[in-house]
Amino acid sequence: METKTLVGVFIVLLIVVGGLAYIAGKKAAPPATTAPPATTAPPATTAPPETTPPPMEVKNPDKLIVATIGEPETLDPAWAYDTASGEVIFNIYETLIFFDRDKVDQFIPIIAEQVPSVENGLIRDNGTTIVFPIRSGIKFHSGRELTPEDVEYSLERVLVMDRDGGPSWMLLDPLLGVETTRDSDGNLIVTWEQIDQAVEVEGNNVVLHLAKPYPITVLFQILSQTWSSIVDKQCAIEHGAWPGTPETWQDYNNPEVPPLQEADCGSGPFMLDRWEHGKQVVLKRFDDYWRGPANFSEFIIMKVDEWATRKLMFLKGDVDMAYVPAQHMKEIEGAEGIRVYKNLPTVSNAAVFFTFEVDPNSPYIGSGKLDGNGIPPDFFSDINLRKAFAYSFDFDRYIEEAWFGEAARTPGPIPQGLPGYDPNLPMYEFNLTKAEEYFKKAWDGQVWEKGFYFELLYNVGNVQRKTAAEMIKENVESLNPKFKIYVRGVEWPEYLKAMVRRQLPMFIIGWLADYPDPYNFVFPYMHSSGTFAAWQGYSNPHVDELVEELITTSDQNRRIEICRELTQIYYEEVPSFIIYQPLGRHYERTWVHGWYYNPIYPGVYAYPLWKG
Amino acid sequence: MGGMRTYIIRRLLLIIPTLLGVSILVFSVSMVFSPEERAALYVGEGGFKAAARIQAIIKKYGLDQPVYVQYYNWLKNVLQGNLGWSKSLNIPVARAFTELWPASVEIAIYAAPLIVITGIMLGRISAVHRDRWPDHISRIFAIVGWSLPTFWSAIVLLAIFYGALGWFPPGRLSPEAQSIVHSAEWVSYTGLYTIDALLNRNLFVFADALRHLFLPVLNLVIVGNAGIMRVMRSSLLEELHKEYVMAARTRGVPEKAVINKHAMRNAMIPVVTMAGVLVAGFLTGLVITETVFEFKGLGYWAAHAATQLDFPAVLAFALFSGIVFVVSNLLVDILYAYLDPRIRLG
Repeated sequence: METKTLVGVFIVLLIVVGGLAYIAGKKAAPPATTAPPATTAPPATTAPPETTPPPMEVKNPDKLIVATIGEPETLDPAWAYDTASGEVIFNIYETLIFFDRDKVDQFIPIIAEQVPSVENGLIRDNGTTIVFPIRSGIKFHSGRELTPEDVEYSLERVLVMDRDGGPSWMLLDPLLGVETTRDSDGNLIVTWEQIDQAVEVEGNNVVLHLAKPYPITVLFQILSQTWSSIVDKQCAIEHGAWPGTPETWQDYNNPEVPPLQEADCGSGPFMLDRWEHGKQVVLKRFDDYWRGPANFSEFIIMKVDEWATRKLMFLKGDVDMAYVPAQHMKEIEGAEGIRVYKNLPTVSNAAVFFTFEVDPNSPYIGSGKLDGNGIPPDFFSDINLRKAFAYSFDFDRYIEEAWFGEAARTPGPIPQGLPGYDPNLPMYEFNLTKAEEYFKKAWDGQVWEKGFYFELLYNVGNVQRKTAAEMIKENVESLNPKFKIYVRGVEWPEYLKAMVRRQLPMFIIGWLADYPDPYNFVFPYMHSSGTFAAWQGYSNPHVDELVEELITTSDQNRRIEICRELTQIYYEEVPSFIIYQPLGRHYERTWVHGWYYNPIYPGVYAYPLWKG
Repeated sequence: MGGMRTYIIRRLLLIIPTLLGVSILVFSVSMVFSPEERAALYVGEGGFKAAARIQAIIKKYGLDQPVYVQYYNWLKNVLQGNLGWSKSLNIPVARAFTELWPASVEIAIYAAPLIVITGIMLGRISAVHRDRWPDHISRIFAIVGWSLPTFWSAIVLLAIFYGALGWFPPGRLSPEAQSIVHSAEWVSYTGLYTIDALLNRNLFVFADALRHLFLPVLNLVIVGNAGIMRVMRSSLLEELHKEYVMAARTRGVPEKAVINKHAMRNAMIPVVTMAGVLVAGFLTGLVITETVFEFKGLGYWAAHAATQLDFPAVLAFALFSGIVFVVSNLLVDILYAYLDPRIRLG
């Protein structure tokens, strides 16, 4: 009797709670509708044709919900340098000019009334004076009207802030001719006069005075991205940002935390409603937006870390777009009501790098001698070895296994889709016979005779890097039983530490573009001061000259010539070899319309989209 | 009574050296990582451009200073009420606690009593009906619950009740209910949606919050009550064979009274210990349940912070866990004294 009572109580409890919850669920279900877009949305001219009609009722028709895995670092445009932050910022803020939909080298005026050109007289003095007439009638989310002073303040604030590891260098370089405002000891090396003179208001115009001639397309790419967002000066000051005063600018250089961390001082189509850290960012429509209100009352960017949960939410239609990792692509393939765009070339790539002079105390080079139990620190200074390793890499198999075929090969560091990319230039192919030939030549035959041992690291969780490392080991070791490579997985911080300290004889890493120009790739890969080349200790004065010329010439033909020459040198000297350029995918419910792909966008730009 | 008060004060004062010890321990462990490794948090995987300036980051945050200097600076800030900045959530650590704590507490206040009550009930049934079918069923239930990986059971529950049936979605609230609780009319008293919904007299939000709580709580009950049940069963069986129980039976006390009034009370002592640990564990977060069901609370944050070497967050979390466990142990001790008057505190 007692047992029955207890079990009965438990069952009743379950039924009551479950029933209540079920009823609530029914009540909470959004109205089924296929409402047309609230405003006229631009047509998705470059989108692939849609395949199947929406198979189920449109859920949350007034909201766009995206499920992803990234957490924004900040909403301060002058601080943000990650894509998760960028995705929120470029929906809240606007820039002087912006990319013309899917084009990375064509621009439309936004806050500026016109895109400057030599023809319209807004580019002057041999390209060192750029004039932006400011559009009138634009309102900030605060209700204040945007003025040229706001534009001047916004761009100067980026120069003033220059936080460590931030994006300010992109504006500092063309405007002040330096990449940082501080020396290695942290002392300021620029003056207020330089900053003040770089950006000036002349009537209704904002005038940029460049420190040197600069490729105009590159400058426009920089000005079209989040770091160049125009902020409401008064709003920024109210949130503790630099008050715009010359005498205190030093106090606002390299701050501890971003002043506009959670502020919304923008004029974009969406306003910040709330940021629930670790969970979601909710944006709401700005009804006074100068181009007309967006089609969604809310744009929600959810952080759903667990793939199984994210997948179920996507399949159930509770989210409209979702991040699908490559290894799970097949689980979504052919799912009803989901549209996929494939083979989207990204502006990123990755390579296997050789360190020319490893730290002699590195724990990853065994004995530190060429005795079969280690390698000397300058092991990879021999070009024969670098070529041998390049020929040992099975590129096609790697792309198939690690990327499920969704990656491309490129001859050099310049990705497909950027000017200067030339698929006809030579690149290494998998050829173990040639690899053996070069191994035998290396170090006057000592490598082949004595063998070697070193450790090849990858950061745990990065399956693509692990696969590449294991493939190198498998192929190289198959050539000579004296060749030994130990593949070790370490956490990202340890990986980074070893790389920065030049402890890794060989490392695998990638690059994501700041702006879609070849300079942004050849500099880190090939210039002696570039991020990767500096870690490697690679230096070629002629290469440095070419890279520097690339960023000072606006002659497009000359720039392409330089890119070709650099790619050829990259092939001949093999400081590293490119193993892939990822081809992205985009997944969305079929009831979402208007999406287009621009590889430099940090995420979903919601304004042109609608559901129905 | 005076002894009890002194005991409680003494135990509460114990929190201070406990927290100092915990902080020194965690701080020392953090120093195992090099400055570059700790600075990696500010760079992030993929942030290679920032990596080029990693030395500047180390200098800026004083990551290369001697350990005692770093500890002193941290302690000084904590005593001034500044727990630091959580880089994994990009907000001050103190604010992260206030934002994430309600989710963990809301799961705990529903799951913990259910686990303890069902565990005690099943343990009692099992012990009373030893080696008969109720015992077998309860033990099978316990073994299955004990063996199930939390992650797996969570995914299965989600796949059935959300994926297939669409009844219980992940998250804490539906988008409609979220709009209500973030409206100007809503008053947030506790941050616990079920309680706030009742205080705001909004049954829709109450039912919606309950609907979202159902699966995480059910998952915890399935997985969690096996331990309580097993302890209850063995403890009750032990009590039922003691002389005072025999004596009560020979005196003609009805079996129900023998079990409920005599044996159960004594058998509860180990269960209380276990329940104390369980509740403390729940209050400090449930990593897997919070992650799979998108019910993000302290557990999710702590795991996330630890994997990113977010030391201000990890340190604060360690301090918080220390407080929770000291207080829960104290409550368990007080409950002991209540359950068994022979136990004297002080």
